[in-house]
Amino acid sequence: MSDHKQPLFSCKNLRAFIRSGDDETEIVKGADLEIMAGQKHALMGPNGSGKSTLAAALMGHPAYRVEGEIFLNGEPVHGLEPHERARLGMFLGFQYPVAVPGVSVANFLRAAMGARRGQEVPVREFRQLMTEGFERLGVRKDFAARYLNDGFSGGEKKRLEILQMLLLKPTFALLDETDSGLDIDALKIVSEGVNLASAPDNAILLVTHYQRILDYVKPDVVHVFMDGRIVRTGGPELAVELEARGYDWIAGETSAAARS
Amino acid sequence: MAELALMSSEGKPVIGKEELRRLSAELGETEAGLAWRLAALTVYRNEPLPSRVAHLWRYTDPAHLLPGEPLPAAMPPRDLPAAVLPDDGPAVLLVPGRAPELNAAARASGLTVAPLLHDDGDAELLGTASPSAAGFFASLNSAAWNAGVAVYAPAGKALAEPLRLLVPAFAETTLPRVLVVAGRGAELTVVEEHFGGRDGHRVIGTTELLVGQNAHVRHVLVERWDEGVSGFLAVRARIERDGTYLGVNASLGGDRLKLETGAELVGKGASSELIGVVLGGGAQRFDHHTFHRHVAGDTRSNIDFKVALTEKSRSSYTGLIRIEEGAPRSEAFQENRNLLLSDSARADTIPELEILTDDVSCSHGATAAPIDPEQVFYLQTRGIPRGEAVRLVVRGFVETTLAQVPESVRAGLEALVTARLATLGEGV
Repeated sequence: MSDHKQPLFSCKNLRAFIRSGDDETEIVKGADLEIMAGQKHALMGPNGSGKSTLAAALMGHPAYRVEGEIFLNGEPVHGLEPHERARLGMFLGFQYPVAVPGVSVANFLRAAMGARRGQEVPVREFRQLMTEGFERLGVRKDFAARYLNDGFSGGEKKRLEILQMLLLKPTFALLDETDSGLDIDALKIVSEGVNLASAPDNAILLVTHYQRILDYVKPDVVHVFMDGRIVRTGGPELAVELEARGYDWIAGETSAAARS
Repeated sequence: MAELALMSSEGKPVIGKEELRRLSAELGETEAGLAWRLAALTVYRNEPLPSRVAHLWRYTDPAHLLPGEPLPAAMPPRDLPAAVLPDDGPAVLLVPGRAPELNAAARASGLTVAPLLHDDGDAELLGTASPSAAGFFASLNSAAWNAGVAVYAPAGKALAEPLRLLVPAFAETTLPRVLVVAGRGAELTVVEEHFGGRDGHRVIGTTELLVGQNAHVRHVLVERWDEGVSGFLAVRARIERDGTYLGVNASLGGDRLKLETGAELVGKGASSELIGVVLGGGAQRFDHHTFHRHVAGDTRSNIDFKVALTEKSRSSYTGLIRIEEGAPRSEAFQENRNLLLSDSARADTIPELEILTDDVSCSHGATAAPIDPEQVFYLQTRGIPRGEAVRLVVRGFVETTLAQVPESVRAGLEALVTARLATLGEGV
């Protein structure tokens, strides 16, 4: 079956520009990714390499002008609004989830689930799913009535991101540094959530600075992202090597290769 | 009398003394009542039109708020559509030239709800919180009001259900006058709803609330006039020792609204809270002034005023906190936050503090900012379309304020806000 060959998610020669005054700065300088159903990929890179911009651009953030193509299940999504990408099954877990004061977690989750399903979620079913999710992620019940990310600790925000991923059941989840700022217990809970969400019919891209979360989530493929480009792709052993030798090692090799 | 002038040379509506006598008689007022009106007329005749130089009138031309007919207005008004008095919960209908109409629940409420100035007691209390001399529009309303009601809550009376006062702007000129008197220890919630009307209709209203010792009064003013209606509304409370007052306004409709709302804290231990929600669209103009005057010590006041504007709508907010010499240990806080949803919307905000004593605690804050695009993007990434995401953020912005409103009226206000948000144009 040729279907097996088609990636669940891919982008081709993706470039992202940000405007500053009359000038544009290119931040993502041509990225290609192919992620097959059932896979977990890690995209690793140093601070400032543009990996968060790549994640935001893939989701359609309006601050960026984007060139290149993005496909979900073979369908082009690069011309779609962020909410349309989400409804088709894309999900972005934020590094810094934004607070929306006055909007309760419960109301927000129900609106998001309804949008993803294309129809309202019955109240009883929603309550049950939300409660199960809270228990699974070790979140207190009064979370439901709190305002979205408002006054949340870093760990609480990340748990809520993972909870949303579990409830919205995306086909392709982009997790942007979901592991940053977490203590070891929270990291374990978040990792368990990622492993739980992973299934043969979906794919996950973990964007991360450190190798730490990869002790708990085993990626199938590791990409190294530097200066707006994927400079190396390999198996899980690449992450281990990066942790031991640092990003300078690759930077050195890359520039050496460029010279020769 | 075809040559009868509608306006004085300086543009003030003319109020005839004989016409006032006739109005007072038609409404069945006592002699003391008529005398009260005539005294107010004298004040009116000496009051100049508000000057645009005076800072409270910087943002509104008084001419836009004035009736286009001589006063008192023609009565009964022509072509009044029927306003239906609801039968769930106590409600009163105020229509120019008529006695207030009460439903069964209002009659059975244990409150005294009566035509104004039918009892000489009214004439003694009317003007206590809003004297005729409080300004041009105050004196105009005092002389020529045409839809009045007095609400008395006897000492110790507690009414759980809100009393609704329905004030349609169906007549060309509606001049409502409301007197609420809460006796010692009484508890009362009044919801005053201004709605309806059509192009050119004007409403000039005054509401006074006398909050007795240890009484607890809440007043909710809803303004959801139809397009074309403009007006000036004043809500003034006077709070005795250990009394509490909550004033809420939801300013949603009409073309232009100027609203002055505030309280005088005259008894030790009195407290007042003002909550404002303003949603503007199209070319709407809102001009709000709040005031808190601390006359006695150990008093507390707080203001939380939220404004969201789209399209070419404008809002100005001025807030005065005055702490008199004899009011030590007063606490007064004020915050005005404006959310601008379009490039052409505009909000002005001017807080003012006049503090004449030491040993007080005061603060004020004001912000005006566009909506945070990161909030909208976050919601979009969860499948919520842009327009809905913006509405959700605005709902939340307002909700943090409405959450302080008691349960008995909150749901109604939230529904009004949601309905108004649904009608606001692009940009929301």
